[in-house]
Amino acid sequence: MAGGKFFGGIHPKYHKELASAQSIEQMPLPERLIVHFAQNLGAAPKPVVKKGDAVRKGQVIAEPQGFVSVPLHAPTSGSVQAIDLFPHPVGADMPAAVIVPDGKDEWAPGLNAPRNADGFDAEKIKGIIRDAGLVGMGGAAFPTHVKLSPPKEKPIDLLIVNGAECEPYLASDHRLMIERPAEILEGASLFARALGVQQVIVAIEKNKPEAIEAIRSAIVERRGYSLRALDVVYPQGAERQLIFALTGRRVPAGGLPMDVGVLVQNVGTAFAAYEAVHFGRPLIERVVCVTGRGIARPKNIVAKIGTTFNDAIAFCGGQRGESGKVISGGPMMGVAQYSLEAPITKGTSGIVLLTREEVAQFVSDPCIRCGRCVRVCPMLLNPSALSIFVERLRFDDAEAYHVIDCIECGCCAYVCPSRRPMVHHFRRAKAEIRSKAAKAS
Amino acid sequence: MLTAVIALSALALFSSFLLAVVARAFAVPVNPKIEEVEGALPGANCGGCGLPGCSELARRIAEGKADVDACPVGGESVALKLAAIMGKAFEGGAVRKIALVLCNGNDQVAEKRFHYNGVRDCTSAAMLFGGDKACLYGCLGLGTCVGICPFQAMRMLPNGLPAVDPAKCTACGKCVAACPKKIIKLVPIDKRVHILCSSHDKGAKVRKICEVGCIACTKCVKEAPEGAITMHDNLAVVSYDFDIPDAVAACCPMNTIHVRALDGAIERLEEAASVSGGAL
Amino acid sequence: MKTLILIIVSAVFVNNFVLSRFLGICPFLGVSKRIKTAAGMSAAVIFVMTMASAATWLFYEYILVPFNLVYLQTVTFILVIAALVQVVETVLLKKSPTLYRALGIYLPLITTNCAVLGVAVLNIQKEYNLVETTVFGFGAAVGFGFAMMIFSGIRERMELCDTPVPLRGTAIGLVTAGLLSLAFMGFTGLVKQ
Repeated sequence: MAGGKFFGGIHPKYHKELASAQSIEQMPLPERLIVHFAQNLGAAPKPVVKKGDAVRKGQVIAEPQGFVSVPLHAPTSGSVQAIDLFPHPVGADMPAAVIVPDGKDEWAPGLNAPRNADGFDAEKIKGIIRDAGLVGMGGAAFPTHVKLSPPKEKPIDLLIVNGAECEPYLASDHRLMIERPAEILEGASLFARALGVQQVIVAIEKNKPEAIEAIRSAIVERRGYSLRALDVVYPQGAERQLIFALTGRRVPAGGLPMDVGVLVQNVGTAFAAYEAVHFGRPLIERVVCVTGRGIARPKNIVAKIGTTFNDAIAFCGGQRGESGKVISGGPMMGVAQYSLEAPITKGTSGIVLLTREEVAQFVSDPCIRCGRCVRVCPMLLNPSALSIFVERLRFDDAEAYHVIDCIECGCCAYVCPSRRPMVHHFRRAKAEIRSKAAKAS
Repeated sequence: MLTAVIALSALALFSSFLLAVVARAFAVPVNPKIEEVEGALPGANCGGCGLPGCSELARRIAEGKADVDACPVGGESVALKLAAIMGKAFEGGAVRKIALVLCNGNDQVAEKRFHYNGVRDCTSAAMLFGGDKACLYGCLGLGTCVGICPFQAMRMLPNGLPAVDPAKCTACGKCVAACPKKIIKLVPIDKRVHILCSSHDKGAKVRKICEVGCIACTKCVKEAPEGAITMHDNLAVVSYDFDIPDAVAACCPMNTIHVRALDGAIERLEEAASVSGGAL
Repeated sequence: MKTLILIIVSAVFVNNFVLSRFLGICPFLGVSKRIKTAAGMSAAVIFVMTMASAATWLFYEYILVPFNLVYLQTVTFILVIAALVQVVETVLLKKSPTLYRALGIYLPLITTNCAVLGVAVLNIQKEYNLVETTVFGFGAAVGFGFAMMIFSGIRERMELCDTPVPLRGTAIGLVTAGLLSLAFMGFTGLVKQ
C-alpha cells in the first residue's frame, strides 16, 4: 500500500523510558470520585441522580441527549455526595457528581457477566457500545457508536487501530498493547463487524518493539489483519497523518477520514469495546500513564473515572522536587492544570508532572519569519502568518489562511525560536470565527 | 503675445463650453445632502454607530434611515448640526457617557489561582479556566480593551486595572464589546457613585478571593434612595437614573462602592493607583 | 514593429516612469496601501495616459504647430489633459457606474499628475509619430502600474511587520521605493537610448 512520511512533524525527546517498563497496576478505590457529566464531544448527558442517591457500579447516572451523546456510569458503588461545579481538566469548571465509594464495589444487576458475542450483528454491537458509554480514548472523546455509523454515501473499506501513541512521555497504550494484545484485536474485530470492513491495520510506532512483537503474535490467526510499524515522528498518531502514512490517501481539508473510506480507533477504545461487548462492562475506568520527572514513581495505572489527580499522584508516590507543571494528557497537546482536584475523565490518557527546572519561563518575541514553523506544520499551514494575523486581530485573514484546519498539534510552537504561543493564538482565532459564524446564522 | 492671449482664452472658453455641455448631457442625479451630512460627521470611521464608516452613516442619515444623533462620537454638537442640515428638530440635553470598568480587584487585593504565561490578551487568557484570577468575573488586566480603543482613551495602570481618559473617550462602545468578561459599561459622566464589582459569587466565596468585592450584604440598598441600588444575583447594581448621595459609599464594608468624578484628569487616577497601591 | 516593442520595454523597465524618472510619486505613495486600490489606480492611469498621449499629440500637431504657439505647450497640455479627464469622468459616471466605482474615484487624482504631463511632453521631445506616441503613453502607464503593484504588495506585507514607530507609514514606504528604484537600475542598458 502506498504511503510514506507525511509532510512536517518534529522529533522531540520522548522520555518514554520513565514509564514504558511499568506494567499496568490497578489503583485501589480513592475516598471520593468526581465524575463530570461532560466527558464526550457532542451533547453532555443529563444527570438522572441527585444528592443522596445510592448508586451501584456501572449504574447509569446520566442519560444521553440525542444521537451524538453517550450515557455516564457510576465507577463504583456508593452514594452521591453532591452535584456541583468542579474543575474539568479541559480548562473550565463544569458540573460533576461527587460519588463516595462504600468500599463494596458492587456491580449493578445484569452487568459484568461474560457472554458469547458470536451472534451479535452490527446494530447490536453498536447498541452495546453506545450503552456502555464508549468514547474515543485517545483523547478526543468522540462517541464511538457515532463514529461506527458513517452515512451510507461514505463506505468504509479500512479500519486502522491506532497504537502510535506519538505524544512524548505517555506509555499507556504501549503497555496495553504488550499486556492485552488479544483483547485489543478482539475489540478491533468487533469494530470491523460493526462496519462491515474486511481490512484492519494495527499501526504502531517503531519505538515500541515489545508492543509490535505482542501484537504480531496475536494477529497471526486473523485474516485481513496486518501490522504496520511506523517511523517515529510527532504527530504520527494524528488521524490525517496516520492515514496518509499508511495508505497515501489524503483526507480533504474540512473533511473526515470517512471521506476516504477509512476509520481510525484507538487501541484503548478497542479494549473498552471488548470489555463492553464480551463482559457487559461499561466504561468506568481506564489506563492512565502517570509519568514525568516530577512524580516519585511513574506508573501506568488503571484508575476509575473520577479519580482526582491528587489521589492518582499520591498512589504514585507523590510529587518529587519542586512542582513545575501538572499536565492532563501529553506535553504537546495536553492542558496544564491549576487544581489537582481535577479528575481523570474518559479522555485522560496521562498525567505528566514536570519539575520547576523543566518548565521554561519565557517571554515571547515578534515573529522573525525564519520559516521553521512552516517546515514542520503537518497540515501544510503557514503558522507564522496566522499568528501575526491573530496578534493584529485580523481574524478574516486568518480564516482565509485556513486556521480552521489547524489540528493544534503544537509542532509550530515547539520549534519557534521566538517562543510564540501559536496554538493559543489559533484557538482564539477559531473561537472568534465560530462565534462570528454562529452570530451570522 | 496677443496671439497667445487669444489662443489661451479661446481654448479655455472652448473647454468650459465642452465640459458644460457634457455635464448637462451626462448628468447623474446625486443627493447633495449626503455630502453635507458627511462633512458634518467627525470622519473617524470608528464604527461606533454600528456601520462600517462615516460615508455609510451619512448616506443613511441623508436618506432618513438613521437618526441625527446616531453618531456617539459626534455627540450633541454634531447631532444639532445634522438636525439643521436635515431640517429636523432635535432636542439636546443627552448626557455624555464614558466607559467604566466595573472591577477594582487589582493585583494587590484580588487572588490569582495560577501563574499565567500565555498570550497577553484577555480573551485568550479567558479561554484557560476563565483566566488566572480566582474571581471569574474580575478584570484580567491584560489590556484587550486598551488595544482595541480607536482613540487611545484607555491605558493599563501598574496595578493591573485599566483606566479611562475622559478627554479622549467617546463612548463608542468598542471596549464594551471586546471585554471577554463583559464588565465594562457606558455610564453617564456626571454620576459619581459607582459599585466597582461584577461578581455574582456568594459573599463567603468573594471574601476569600477578593478584598474589595461585593458580598451582597445589601447595606447600600437600604442606605441609598429607594430603587437606586438593586440586588441582581448576589451583586449590588446601581441604577444611573437616580442621584445617589456620596455618603452612601461609606456604608460598604468591603470598600466596593466608590465616589469618583469620571471627568477628572486621568493623571489623578494614575497617581492615586501608585500611591495607595490598593483600591482607588 | 520592433521600434514599438522597444518603446514598450524601455517605458516599462529601463526608464520606468516612477522608479527611474521619479514622476507620479504622489499617487504612487498615496494609493498603494492596498493591492486592490493599486490595481484600480493602475487601470485608470493606463486609460488616461494612453488617451492623453494621443490627444495632446494631436493638439500639438494640428493646433500649436500651425499657429506657431509651440511655446504654450506646457500650459495648454495641462488644460487639454484636465478637460479630457473631466469629460471622461462625467461620461463614465453616466454610462458605466460599475466602472466608475472601480476607477472613477482615481480620475481626479490623475488629472494633475506630473506623469501624465510628463509623458505628453516626452512624446514631443522624442518626435514620435501618432502610433509611437500612443504606444509610449500606454507603455509608460503599464510601467507605472507595474511599479505600483509591486510596491503595494510589499506595503501590504509590511503592515504585518513591527516597524519602529518613527518609520511607520510613509517613511518606510519611501525607503522601500528607494530600494525598488535601485533594483530597477539593473535594467539600464537593456535598450539603447
